[in-house]
Amino acid sequence: MAEEFNVDGMLDMFLYESGQLLEKLEGIILEKQDADCFDDTDINEIFRIMHTIKGSSGIMMYENITRVTHKLEDVFYYLRESHPENVPHLELVEKVLAVSDFVNGEMDKIKDGEKPDGDEKEILEDLDNFLKRIKGEIKEQGIRLPRENKHEEPTQFYIAPVASEDSKFYRIVIHYRNDTQMSNIRAYSATYALKEIAEDLLYTPEDIISNEESANVILSEGFYMLLQTKSEKDEILSLIDSAEANQIDIERITAEQFIKGFGGVTQPEEQKIVIDLGEEPPAEKKEKAVTPGEYVIKAKETGKGKTLAKNQPKQQSIISINVEKMDMLMDLIGEIVIAEAVVLQNPDLNGMDLPNFQKASAQLAKITTELQEVIMSMRMMPLTNVFQKMRRIVFDVSKKLGKEIELEVIGETTEVDKNIIEHISDPLMHLVRNSVDHGIETDAEERVALGKSAKGKITLEARNEGGKVYIIVRDDGKGLDKQKLFEKARDKGLLGSKDKEITDYTDNEIYRFITLPGFSTKEQVTEYSGRGVGMDVVVKNIQSIGGRLEISSELNKGSEMRLVIPLTLAIINGIVIQAGNSSFVIETSSVKEFVRLTENSIVTEPDGEEYIILRGEAYPFLRLSRRFELDNALEKVDDGIVMVLEHENTQVCVLIDKLVREQEIVVKPIPSYVKKVKGISGCTQLGDGSIALILDIGGLIHDEERG
Amino acid sequence: MRNMAEREEMLDEDTQKGQFMTFQVGKEYFGISISYVNEIIMMQPITMVPEVKDYIKGLINLRGKIIPVIDVRVRFKMDPVEYTDRTCIIVINVKTTVIGLIVEKIAEVDTIQDSDIVPPPSLGRKDSEQNKYVYGLARTGDTMKLLIDPEKLIKDEDLEVMEEMQDEEE
Amino acid sequence: MKTLLAEDDFASRKFMDKYLSQYGECDVTVDGEEAVDAYMMALEDGEPYDLVCLDVMMPVLDGYQVLKAIRDIEAERGITKDQRVKIIMTTALNEERNVKKAFELGCEAYSGKPIDVDRFEQVLRKLGLI
Repeated sequence: MAEEFNVDGMLDMFLYESGQLLEKLEGIILEKQDADCFDDTDINEIFRIMHTIKGSSGIMMYENITRVTHKLEDVFYYLRESHPENVPHLELVEKVLAVSDFVNGEMDKIKDGEKPDGDEKEILEDLDNFLKRIKGEIKEQGIRLPRENKHEEPTQFYIAPVASEDSKFYRIVIHYRNDTQMSNIRAYSATYALKEIAEDLLYTPEDIISNEESANVILSEGFYMLLQTKSEKDEILSLIDSAEANQIDIERITAEQFIKGFGGVTQPEEQKIVIDLGEEPPAEKKEKAVTPGEYVIKAKETGKGKTLAKNQPKQQSIISINVEKMDMLMDLIGEIVIAEAVVLQNPDLNGMDLPNFQKASAQLAKITTELQEVIMSMRMMPLTNVFQKMRRIVFDVSKKLGKEIELEVIGETTEVDKNIIEHISDPLMHLVRNSVDHGIETDAEERVALGKSAKGKITLEARNEGGKVYIIVRDDGKGLDKQKLFEKARDKGLLGSKDKEITDYTDNEIYRFITLPGFSTKEQVTEYSGRGVGMDVVVKNIQSIGGRLEISSELNKGSEMRLVIPLTLAIINGIVIQAGNSSFVIETSSVKEFVRLTENSIVTEPDGEEYIILRGEAYPFLRLSRRFELDNALEKVDDGIVMVLEHENTQVCVLIDKLVREQEIVVKPIPSYVKKVKGISGCTQLGDGSIALILDIGGLIHDEERG
Repeated sequence: MRNMAEREEMLDEDTQKGQFMTFQVGKEYFGISISYVNEIIMMQPITMVPEVKDYIKGLINLRGKIIPVIDVRVRFKMDPVEYTDRTCIIVINVKTTVIGLIVEKIAEVDTIQDSDIVPPPSLGRKDSEQNKYVYGLARTGDTMKLLIDPEKLIKDEDLEVMEEMQDEEE
Repeated sequence: MKTLLAEDDFASRKFMDKYLSQYGECDVTVDGEEAVDAYMMALEDGEPYDLVCLDVMMPVLDGYQVLKAIRDIEAERGITKDQRVKIIMTTALNEERNVKKAFELGCEAYSGKPIDVDRFEQVLRKLGLI
């Protein structure tokens, strides 16, 4: 969550810290939801959390939050002091969650710039009654009631600034054409023109009239202005003479940014990635305390910002970077990897023995690999938050449906690109809801009769492998019923013709019916699985980030939904091979081994399919040259090499002409004009400038299955 | 907001109007508005891509950018010919899609006024495949040029492929 | 309610002056030193201020220095906590450390700019000023 906020702002700090506390609270609740009661540690923790939020919301003057947390603090105060027995646990859990939801809801409003105007009356009444009952219980159990919980009223208040309707603040940058004469004078006329509407105007460089040198600075860096005015953007632009201007940027900023002048220029909120340089321990940050006297300013002169008499160095361990710059950086690192290959594999070097050069190039390769890893890691964020949301969904939906479900989470610290996180949240929610709603059986006895535990199990797993991230939702429920799916698809006319038989389709194809638009019927759509939102939208969302959905299932055993998503910048380790006149690349992790075989090791079925027996096991055999109809390929198995490839527990043997080398390659997509080819997942540029196609093992294997 | 760069572009468009890159395929001469043409390059090694349409010859590496190339003869359902040293690739940019057209011979850049362009005859001819993309004819010098609409060339691909996909699903 | 306003920015000064004047007399100063002098003068005259509104970034002395000076003067004169003047910082600086320091030095409220007039009024009520 730190990534989303400017953690220094008072408001953001309140939202961030309270948010963290509430997440912690939810964690405790979900952990202890099935227990008989909270233990002392839990009670203390919850008390403390409520106390803290009560206090900080009091300072921030969010009264409804204060009242609600105040009440819940009271409840836990009594629980802590008196330890009554037989506290209705489930009810208590619900009340805590109700408070948590209310506070989160109000905080969301604040985040969106709206007033936190939620009505807390109902919750207060509810808690009041509950508290009365608890007190009653305590008395009945003969325990002495503790003294009243003393609350300290806040004595200091923070009033958050509002977005002013009158005065607005803008940051304006003018870029003049390179051949512009006397840009400093032009800049001056821009400031003069704006004086008409300006309540306050600052600019840099400052000495535009007196110093001709400033013209150079203006041409190279641009002319920056900070403007306070009641006018709108278009009025401002119309005043600035754009005759020689190449480009004029104008953006709205906050009062705080305006007052900070040109030093602390930040980018628009949505575009930030906050990078944690991670070195300064938090304690050090607190030492940068404010000292009285720091903010004395020199007498203000026109056009100059408020300059502090004393210069404050600002040190942070976190910086914000514009996302566009990150994207540019990512592209460049891809280009470097290719350029490196072009240099190191240059045909000019063929046959030359250059030991010093080899050493130097090995060093270069090492550095570019590290560079690439660091850059990719900057955009990576753990899936923890997304998975946390899923936990809550499983809890809510299973409770509402009366099903007992255990959620297992594996690999939640797996990191993926920020862009991916934004796109998988919804699809994942849909899949998880499906598992809870349709996957796990409603009747626990049904499960037991099948030899399964009464409690349903859903597993949420994430892992990084070979340039792709796998996110898997697995349940041990009913599984998909092929017969039913087929009949449903047929009856809905989704099969094209009514003459198809179930045997015309592979299992995979039948499972994929659920992703056809229009598949979910009204009966199936419940409050939780979505209103006609459907699996087809899930698939579309995943495809928009270049991923795919894989489905496996076994009747009465369960189902598994796999999201396979490529990392945004895929630089993968690959093996370059040749077949015919074409070069291909295989991901190194898919290659199990290379073997030389003879023609006799091939077994041919009557339908033309071929198999190889290797160490007593049979593997499907595929001749790449035949599959892709390549020219000039070697015919005899004896002359070529066979690669044993593996993809998700299935293996296949592929005949190629020769092995070229192992290297890092930058995965580039096949141009969209060329439609998808089964078995090819992309292309890349090799060191000698030629293009190699990247093999998609899954696609090759899948096709083999179909025969 | 209008800036100098935009104004220059607009000017160029005006002077570009009516300029066509012409080339020869078989016995016919074709023309394509120069506003679509990025550059003309010599024939270069093409990496074939398996299982694509016959007229998609494959991919080329254009200074680091990987773009697909199509053989215009094959696209117009003519028999393919051997590539000679005259064979060139016209790199065109149609609404952000960049592709290369392999043509037998480049002719020159002709200026053709709108008034000189006549619509093609609509009755079915032997070369009706061309007619899908030819939107007009114009005579320059002593030859007739068939003017191609590249947007149709690109768009038609999608439609055809979509129809094929639907067939597959059935 | 008698108010002392210390604000060096013209536009803000006009706004605050107009706003605070509706509750009573409002004196205006443009730098930190002037503000402390004004406070002292009122104290000596036996007509002390009820409320002081301080900007943070000012010439000569900044808001923190003024805040500290006033509290020190009050401590020296034995003025008790409930009798001391109420001080509200008004500034566009919103970082947590700025607010923390101000609270530490003993102001009653810290308001970001632009000012949320409704909330401001709420605070005046809570502090018993109106």
